[in-house]
This record gives sequence, structure tokens and C-alpha cells, in this order.
Amino acid sequence: MRIACPYCGERSLDEFLYSGDATVKRPDFASPTATEEFVSYVYERTNPPGMHRELWYHAAGCHAWLVVTRGVATHQITSVEAAREVALKEKSATKDTK
Amino acid sequence: MAKQGLTATSAFLHWKPVANSNLTVDARETLTMASFAAAKGKKDELNAAVRAAYGVDLPKTPSRVEGQQGVAFVWAGPEQWLAVAERKDGRDLETEFKKTFGPLASVVDQSDGRVVVRISGPRAREVLAKGIPLDLHETAFRPGSAAITHASHIGVILWQIDDKPTYEVALFRSYVDSFAHWLLDSAAEYGVAHA
Ligand SMILES: [Zn+2]
Repeated sequence: MRIACPYCGERSLDEFLYSGDATVKRPDFASPTATEEFVSYVYERTNPPGMHRELWYHAAGCHAWLVVTRGVATHQITSVEAAREVALKEKSATKDTK
Repeated sequence: MAKQGLTATSAFLHWKPVANSNLTVDARETLTMASFAAAKGKKDELNAAVRAAYGVDLPKTPSRVEGQQGVAFVWAGPEQWLAVAERKDGRDLETEFKKTFGPLASVVDQSDGRVVVRISGPRAREVLAKGIPLDLHETAFRPGSAAITHASHIGVILWQIDDKPTYEVALFRSYVDSFAHWLLDSAAEYGVAHA
């Protein structure tokens, strides 16, 4: 498997570390159901077949965090984005709706 | 009480320089180096400061540019760079950059943290290709190209200087012996004796 880092170009898997589900969001610790929400955030995964959005870290390259969309059955990668850009986009989207 | 202190010691104590018609390997021991990152929201202003002082734009892609005043700038990640210059006349890039860039960048000295090895000659590409998982073919990696990757599992910043070809590799200084071990093993078939 090879991942096309948006900064470095296409690199071999051994330069990257897998860092989990990119779709979960850290819950608000002040929420009355915070305990349940944190259990779900940390442990509960459904692991469906098909496309996942995953965090990968370019550890032996530019040290950027990436959001990789990957088919877990086929290893087909359909997009690689800088996690920073994804977060900034989400931030501006929530600002727009407020 | 006896005076206590640290004495400057070469990272290349166990090295013998390599020089034959296939390959030369040199330790570049006379460098001053600093890494720097743009302060938040200041990358354009930082670039303008570099342009004013050194006459070049900072590379935005994995590459190396030579500026005026003998400083080369190597891309070292998004909005981060490694700068390399000769140390002569007490030159110290960390001090120089802190004065020149002020609050536009975070600057960290790398002169003692990293070392640079120069690998040059007709077989340099083949030797490096044995441990570097990148396409180093001249159509893919050229003079001015740079990359952050690993060489035989040792983290490196690599750049190409010319098409002899000459490469330079920056690595953490305590890895020098491991790096040399791999490099000389890889070069054995080209007539390089293991130190
Ligand atoms: Zn990268």
C-alpha cells in the first residue's frame, strides 16, 4: 500500500503510522452524559466493510497528520487530505451555520 | 574543584573518507544549521523577510534553494525549513535568523544536533537507492529536489546538489555510525572498503 502525502508525494506504507478513526469527535467533558460519550469515543467501533476515513501520521516524512479515505477490504485509497485543512474547513463550516 | 564542561567532539570519530572513481563520501563538519517554522499566520511576511535578506523565496514543495550570503534553504515539512551555511568567522544561523526574522518564525539551532554527509560520484544514486525508498532516477529526483524520508530506517533529510550526481543527507548526529555502516556495506560492490 502506498499513500500520496499531499506534501511529500506518494510514499511507502512504512513511512506512516495508522492513528485511528478520523470521524469520531472528542465529547464535551461538561456534558451530563460525558462518561457514556467518552466510552463510545474511545472504545466503540462498528468496523464495517467498505470505505473508512482514517487518521494517518507521516512519521518518517513531513510529520503531517492526514485524513485518508480507504477501502478496508481493497486498500483502495480515494482521497488523502491534510488533517489541518480538514479541521479548518469544519471549523469555518460550523462558524457559517452559527 | 576541577573545571567541568563539555568539549566539542566530532560525530565522525570512526570515519574514514571514501574517494574512488565511483564514489566519494565526505563529512561536512564546518556547517551552521538552523531549522525554523513560520509563526501562525506569518508565512507570507516570513517569506518577504527571507527574500529581503537572502534574495530567494522559501521552497513550498520538497526542494532546496540557494540564497545569497551562502545560505541554502531546504523544505522540511509544511511551513518549516532547514537552513545550512558554512560556519566560517563564527557564523551562527540561529542568532542570525532570530535577529532577521524576529517574531515571524520560531528558530532552533541544529548545528550540533544534525550532521550532513555528502555522497557524490557515478555510483552515488545506486548506493543510496539500496536503503532509501524513493525513486531517485534522474527523471524523478533532480538537482534542487529534496525529501524527508529514511535511509536504512534512519530518518534523513535528503537533497540533490548536482547531476554528477551529488547528494547530501542530514541526519541526527548519534546515528552517524549506523548510517556509515549501511552506506559502506552498500558501496562495497563499487570498490569501497569497509572502515
Ligand atoms: Zn508527508
